[in-house]
Amino acid sequence: MSDLPQGSTIIKVTQALIDAYAAIAGDFNPVHVDPVFAATTPFGATIAHGCIPMEPIFRLVQAHLGRPVMPQGSRMKLRYLRPSHPGDTIGIVVKTQHESGLEFQCVNQSGQPVIEGEVRYG
Amino acid sequence: MTNPLTTYDGAQLGQDVCRGRIDLSQDEINRFCALMGYDDPAYRAGAAGGAVAPTSMCLAFGLRLGWEEQVFPPGVIRVGDENTYGVPARAGDVLTTCLVIADRFERKGRRFLTYDMVTTNQHQEQVCHVRFTAIMPEAPR
Repeated sequence: MSDLPQGSTIIKVTQALIDAYAAIAGDFNPVHVDPVFAATTPFGATIAHGCIPMEPIFRLVQAHLGRPVMPQGSRMKLRYLRPSHPGDTIGIVVKTQHESGLEFQCVNQSGQPVIEGEVRYG
Repeated sequence: MTNPLTTYDGAQLGQDVCRGRIDLSQDEINRFCALMGYDDPAYRAGAAGGAVAPTSMCLAFGLRLGWEEQVFPPGVIRVGDENTYGVPARAGDVLTTCLVIADRFERKGRRFLTYDMVTTNQHQEQVCHVRFTAIMPEAPR
């Protein structure tokens, strides 16, 4: 969808970002912040909190609507498809767009979807 | 000791598990904005009507409560969300988040819990309703 802003929506995942988000959310789940523990899990390395690869959809919608926050009453449905790791770059692909919302995928630098979902504007 | 109401078997669906309060400060908004790269003047001190917090910051309120109250077991993995966003949170707001376990189910040998986290401000206006489903870590064998 060429009429939606894309560039500002990209987020670079780093361990420093994950650690700082953990401090804000109080979420020190070792799968996020403990590389030694995370290496023993099926993920093989730390993974970002789900809210981090979600960031692009907030940025996209807010930029598109010209608002600093989501419109009141907005609804969002998400499915987490695969984890995001330090070193990943997460962007967004809009699958369909209509007056009241859009369907999207957050994708990593390999084009793999990490989150898919839909937003309905309030 | 684990609160039995937070466990898969002990959860009483729909009942309050815990409730927490956050006094949202401009410093916290600034910290989140700096971390995530938000730079709109609406987030800054002195903004008309008071600084607002980016909507995505509100997702952290319920998480913080759940981790502080040891509701979420270490190793839990989030698989899906259904969220509703209400009035913006503002610097100076006194926010209350109530956490409820809304559902539990098993699928393909895995156990899932669905958490509801509703955050309201000091005017009893809903700021956000975050409902997420997570896979429970397997119990040690």
